[in-house]
Amino acid sequence: MPEFRHSNIEREMEVYGYDSFVKSHCRMCHGGCGVIVYVKDGKVAKIAGDPDCPIAHGTLCTKGLASAQLAYHKDRLTYPVKRIGPKASGKWERISWDEALDTIAERILTYKEKYGPESVVFGYGTGRENEAVIYRIANVLGSPNVITAGHFCYGPRICTSIITCGTNPIVDYENFPKCIIMWGNNVTISNPDEYKGEPFSVALDKGAKLIVVDPRLTRPAARANVWLQLRPGTDAALALGMLNVIVNEELYDREFVEKYTHGWDPFVQRVNEYPLERVQEITWVPKEKIREAARLFATTKPAAIQWGVAIEQQTNCADNDRLLMFLMGITGNIDAPGGQVLNRTPNVVNVGQFGAHGMLPKDQFAKRLGGERFRLASRFAILQPKCVWDAILEEKPYPVKMLFLISSNPVITRANAKEVYRALEKVDFMAVADFFLTPTAELADIVLPAATWLEMDYVGDFWKRHGYILPRRKVIQVGECRSDHEMLNDLAHRIGQGQYWWNNFEEALDYILHPMNTTWKDFKKMNYIRGEVKYYKYKEGGFSTPTRKFELYSTTLEKMGYDPLPQHREPSESPVSTPELYKEYPYILITGARQPGFFHTENRQIGRLRELHRDPIVEIHPDAAAKEGIHEGDWVIIESRRGIVRQRVRLSLGRDPRIVAAQHGWWFPEKKDPGHGWHESNINILTDNALESCDPAMGASNIRTLLCRIYPEKKASYEKKE
Amino acid sequence: MSKHAIIIEEFACWGCRACEVACKQEYNSVDADNGIKYLSVWPDGPKLMNGKLDFVWRVNVCKHCDDPPCAQACPVEAITKREDGIVILDYDKCNGCQLCIDECPYHAIRFDEEKKTVTKCNLCHHRVDKGLYPACADNICLAHCIYFGDPAEIEQKILEKRKARGGWGDILPKVITISRG
Ligand code: SF4
Ligand code: SF4
Ligand code: SF4
Repeated sequence: MPEFRHSNIEREMEVYGYDSFVKSHCRMCHGGCGVIVYVKDGKVAKIAGDPDCPIAHGTLCTKGLASAQLAYHKDRLTYPVKRIGPKASGKWERISWDEALDTIAERILTYKEKYGPESVVFGYGTGRENEAVIYRIANVLGSPNVITAGHFCYGPRICTSIITCGTNPIVDYENFPKCIIMWGNNVTISNPDEYKGEPFSVALDKGAKLIVVDPRLTRPAARANVWLQLRPGTDAALALGMLNVIVNEELYDREFVEKYTHGWDPFVQRVNEYPLERVQEITWVPKEKIREAARLFATTKPAAIQWGVAIEQQTNCADNDRLLMFLMGITGNIDAPGGQVLNRTPNVVNVGQFGAHGMLPKDQFAKRLGGERFRLASRFAILQPKCVWDAILEEKPYPVKMLFLISSNPVITRANAKEVYRALEKVDFMAVADFFLTPTAELADIVLPAATWLEMDYVGDFWKRHGYILPRRKVIQVGECRSDHEMLNDLAHRIGQGQYWWNNFEEALDYILHPMNTTWKDFKKMNYIRGEVKYYKYKEGGFSTPTRKFELYSTTLEKMGYDPLPQHREPSESPVSTPELYKEYPYILITGARQPGFFHTENRQIGRLRELHRDPIVEIHPDAAAKEGIHEGDWVIIESRRGIVRQRVRLSLGRDPRIVAAQHGWWFPEKKDPGHGWHESNINILTDNALESCDPAMGASNIRTLLCRIYPEKKASYEKKE
Repeated sequence: MSKHAIIIEEFACWGCRACEVACKQEYNSVDADNGIKYLSVWPDGPKLMNGKLDFVWRVNVCKHCDDPPCAQACPVEAITKREDGIVILDYDKCNGCQLCIDECPYHAIRFDEEKKTVTKCNLCHHRVDKGLYPACADNICLAHCIYFGDPAEIEQKILEKRKARGGWGDILPKVITISRG
């Protein structure tokens, strides 16, 4: 009997007769997992995890395993097209890359000339490892406007961590935390930036205690030692309550607090404004549970907080992030083995340098849309999307004439989707780069065929803060598709930026790697490069903040004119802030729980992944359903002040009866009309993007917590469709 | 003869469903957008268990029983148990009568409308016989909870993990009791 060995490449090659294999780095999400791609007859034949990958250790998710079905999808756009009918008419004509890029270049130069470079807005969705090239082309052009998800996704962690402790503290799973708080995410089925589920799972198997903060009963919540089932949007109050316990029971790390923090006394004062009785009232979490969780976290060493995006898509975005860092900090877990490490990235040209932020002239920086209002975001080149929609629709404070959106589908993913749609309908000229003709792309003038990760060379995870870079190696070419990096490098030459770019993108990769005296050709042969591993670095040089301390009291926010201490703010719509509205819309709607197989709006056309979730699902407690005359499997209408959508009901005991949980990212590629059902189940039809509802410092849209009503869709009531 | 079993410790499963897609990859061509698979993951709960809300993921897959009731039910002897423990459904012999389906206590057999035969997991025997792990058990599971190998050794591994967790997951996967039965 042969000996069994996991991921046995040689035998796999022999048994299946593959021609070759390439080790690469998946990017079906933000990236991260090392993969082995087997090739036969020039095509991808199989994708497996790479056990040598230091991040996921050879495990993979549904999306990674279905990458070839994305690459070879029959509906994929494989050549550039230009629209020949009105917007959203679905009338397209094939054009050459030269024609496409020349047209885009000509538009950029014309608008720059007539309205200034700020009238040309570049954009991407969530981080897809193209952010550095996109910022580069915008900054060199002189446009301060790059529209991203950064205002409410990961950007806040970067901005707030830089002002608090110098960089984003990353859970050190390698040294097995003994207590983990999973706060507002589920890393086992999603990918909060630096993290994959495997190391988290292993840490639990090693005996780590688990605290889960989530309004929904996820599997991790069911497995947790303590589940804090909070009222949505009250994370800050909950964290303040836990800090209150830790401070008043003196469970904090005395040495850390005394030597390395700034602003302890005012911080304690603020924390004392949140006694547990008050916190219980705000959060709906019993005070005994808050105390239990705070004690468990503060007295188990090392401990860490597995955080993610849910706390950022709220009015309290920046303070939520800061409060979680304070929990890590005052318990002495910052930069501690098994705690939360301020990693050193390998010595490469970093994303900020590559993004050429230094080249944006000061007077152009000052023109960043919304920059005066959302000052923390603006400092880090992040803007609030509504400011762009307003500039298109109302031409205030100046007109935006052109959008170039790369890997972004804002019609589905940004708050108040109807307004987004109107803006994209109105904008003078729009170019889009994507895999498919999405509802957003259907409004474009030119659509460019983007390469999947299987079709590009890149320095993977170059933007992350876990301390690794990993080579992504090109395996195949599909049609005329090009990577975002290659197309922008080409376009840059056509708008006169040639001197700041490269003859081909491989030279750019060499540039990224040059501080290490490494070239792409050398790096390609490696599994990964890791930055120097060192703990407690602050003990020598302090933290990289204005005070060199861990800033509980933010001197940066103070200078910007914000409250330097964190506080709880009620969501703009809630039973507390708008009791009258709550009578009319008697449920709290939460959105965006992740589904395996999908990445926001992506993958709904991939049969193997769509099979996992055919319909958009809204979860509702059986008691609430009975009250509303709703049954399992019904199509129902969910309504907010801004509109209505339909989703299908799943009854679930795993949430408070006052809460309804709807899925996000839905459109229907199988609907062949050019709208592709963009408004039918798209939860962002219901969300609010008023600037007043946003986080005051980051401009994060509050898309996670609003008020709704829910009722049966007349026709469909209790007729189960299978 | 070494024993071959597939055991999934459902306590540890996170419902990521990668195993389902890995099975699909193994049994369908790369150009097939979708296709067959032999296991399915489903949410059991949230539900009230002894007054407490609980929620686990279940993975339906053939348990390769010691005394497989499906084999007994089959009139044309399409299902047989190999010496190494793998219960094989011979697709050429299956006449589509579906008598086995109801007999399987784990709902691991399905009817394939296109092929007009039943289908079930044959434990990737084409891989196993060549010294490869079954597709779903080949280190893709982030929970490392899909075990392949000798059932006694697997049981040992699961007990060790349970101890390390501090007693969590004290329900052993059902298959162990069945395969002893
Ligand atoms: S791969 Fe593992 S964790 Fe994921 S669904 Fe399958 S058994 Fe569960
Ligand atoms: S009865 Fe079910 S689980 Fe047991 S061997 Fe047959 S198909 Fe597999
Ligand atoms: S052992 Fe093979 S056939 Fe059976 S479920 Fe796993 S991948 Fe599918």
